[in-house]
Amino acid sequence: MHARLAEVIVGYSTEVGPGDVVRIESYDTTANDVIRETYAATLRAGGHPTANLVLDEADEVLLKEGNDAQVEWISPEQQWHLEHGDVWILFDAPTNTKRLSNVDPERITRRLKARSPLQSMYLQRSADGDFRWVICGFPSQASAQDAGMSLKEFEQVLCRAAFLDQDDPVAAWKAFGEELETAGSLLETKRELRIVGEDTDLTMQVGGRTWIRSKGLRNFPDGEVFTGPVESSVEGTIRFSFPAMHRGRQAEDVRLRFEGGEVVEATARRGQDFLREMIAMDDGARRVGEFAFGMNRAIDEYTGNLLLDEKIGGTVHLALGRSVPGTGGENESGLHWDIVCDLRDGGEVYADGELIYRDGAFLNGA
Amino acid sequence: MRDPRIEKLAELIAGYSLDLQEGQVYRIDGEEVSIPLAVALSAAAIRRGAHPYTRIVPAGLDEIELEAASDEQLTYIPEVERLATEQLDAWTSLWGSSNTRSLTRADPERRRLQLSTHYRMVNRRWERISAGDLAWCGTLYPSQAHAQDAEMSLAEYEDFVHGACHTREGDDPIAHWQALSETLTARAQQLDGVRELRVVGPKTDLRVVVEGRHWIPSDGRHNMPDGEIFTSPVETGTSGDIFFAFPSVFQGREVENVRLRFEDGRVVHAEATSGEDYLRSLLDTDAGARVLGEVAFGLNYEIDRFTRDILFDEKIGGTMHVALGGGFDEAGTENKSDLHWDLICDLRAEGEVYADGELVWKAGSFLSAPAVERV
Repeated sequence: MHARLAEVIVGYSTEVGPGDVVRIESYDTTANDVIRETYAATLRAGGHPTANLVLDEADEVLLKEGNDAQVEWISPEQQWHLEHGDVWILFDAPTNTKRLSNVDPERITRRLKARSPLQSMYLQRSADGDFRWVICGFPSQASAQDAGMSLKEFEQVLCRAAFLDQDDPVAAWKAFGEELETAGSLLETKRELRIVGEDTDLTMQVGGRTWIRSKGLRNFPDGEVFTGPVESSVEGTIRFSFPAMHRGRQAEDVRLRFEGGEVVEATARRGQDFLREMIAMDDGARRVGEFAFGMNRAIDEYTGNLLLDEKIGGTVHLALGRSVPGTGGENESGLHWDIVCDLRDGGEVYADGELIYRDGAFLNGA
Repeated sequence: MRDPRIEKLAELIAGYSLDLQEGQVYRIDGEEVSIPLAVALSAAAIRRGAHPYTRIVPAGLDEIELEAASDEQLTYIPEVERLATEQLDAWTSLWGSSNTRSLTRADPERRRLQLSTHYRMVNRRWERISAGDLAWCGTLYPSQAHAQDAEMSLAEYEDFVHGACHTREGDDPIAHWQALSETLTARAQQLDGVRELRVVGPKTDLRVVVEGRHWIPSDGRHNMPDGEIFTSPVETGTSGDIFFAFPSVFQGREVENVRLRFEDGRVVHAEATSGEDYLRSLLDTDAGARVLGEVAFGLNYEIDRFTRDILFDEKIGGTMHVALGGGFDEAGTENKSDLHWDLICDLRAEGEVYADGELVWKAGSFLSAPAVERV
């Protein structure tokens, strides 16, 4: 699996070419085998790789004991790479997804805020085609545990979701890209979306915004179309089927009510304080930066891994906080928090009053 | 399980070796096997108000590079390395590895190219260290691979490493290294007045001219463990024979029972009972490779055995070592080379050293203590 995954990431997702400066990262040592394969594939493609393992324990000490200046500090290498590098590959293979549960959330939001300009900068470079980055899911015991399965079972889920079980994964991604293209083209002709589901009736304007077809380039696995809705236009209520996760912390059964584009009411059955803290991070954290349709039907169950969950075919998700450059979204924030809503059982989407999506799928002829 | 000795070692390096200050930018380099020490160093740096970051890499990247990289890729220096080399305030290299022999079968030419690129940055790093702009310390996290080389169990090897660093339970490492620093400094000042050393031992009778050169105490600032004094000899002044009873290791490859004959500062004859081809190829690295860049006394008496790791071996109490190749600017060297190969000469059983004709060292130690000037 490792060599195959590395080939797809280097050859398809990031298209590493001669002279590209490539940074390959992960947390601790779980992903080391695939890092080695990716390092080799990068060299064969003519790139200049460097690898780096982010140490969770060191990060924990920083967040718990570091002063403000230390928490806000950004390493010169990270800064340089995001400003001038060509490719950034991050293997998301956590060793413990709840490791920050007991860290003061203020420290985490302080860091997110401090990094916000750098984040906006590299996302802009990405939208301009000057920087390719990919977050790649990689099986770890911690992720498998969150999914309630064995490591081997989780590997299979990930393999299927990434089309690595198919004869020619790159061809499969290209074919799937066509499907995303169709959905994106349809949505681009619409001005207003209305999402209807259990305890959910939400409207937003999307006219003039760009729908990005997310086909395995910036996330892997992947499979969504997303945009940034008109910031002031979001109205109504939404109830999220899946827990809202952020850095190992979570809020369950989240309900949000929007007026004039801003969250005016936020409740959760569990984790309500955390939810409110996140929304209070900055002005932009109360607004929607992204709305998306998850369309990968090879992902059909909730695993507690956002990278997969937000792509589940038949779901939609919205993100509170920063919009993604390239969509036309203008919201700025240190936060970008995706929360997923399952529409597979009775959900409906209307575009400019017309039903275009029901029970988790776009309607034929829509 | 956390080993409190590792935290002690980290405090020693952050507090004594590097003397980390608030706001300083500090990088920690190493392979995955050294993660526990990287974490401890990072925590020690945070507590001192510094800005630590780590560059920890999976094992095996060097051999992948040797296999898959073009020559152009092999000699490429990443911009982040340049930045680090030019801008860091403090730096630690963790040398622990999960396999010390992984490059034994690599193509020597390609490996030389890879190393020479690396040394270009190391040389620049040393310029900043010498100028006082960068604090740097190299150390080793005890791993199975190094224990195996030392012919010990991991537990035994950990005891050995922490003994050498004075970071055992109950030790006061900073007090130890401060006291040793005074002794070594006094000894170095004494040797600064010497014109010529004559080293006599088994199959060894070597004269080394050190007049006008500066002796430097290695007191735990740049290496941990440490404990030597060294200088760079006058390039044309080495003559005679020297025999190295310990295997001589360079980049994981061994040469055994090396004998060298010097005339007018240059190696004119070299032999070994194994690895002789490798010995000759190293001597042919460049013009400076046949000339001594270093002569030194090993003075860490906690290190009492050969472990196939130069960080420890060159400090074995009672030995001397010389290095073929590049010397040290701060010692006054004029020898330049891409090679710096330390070879260790065991003088513990029957060695003698004469300084300008006077016997100053016998059977592994100086005959008199240096006068320590206490401030």
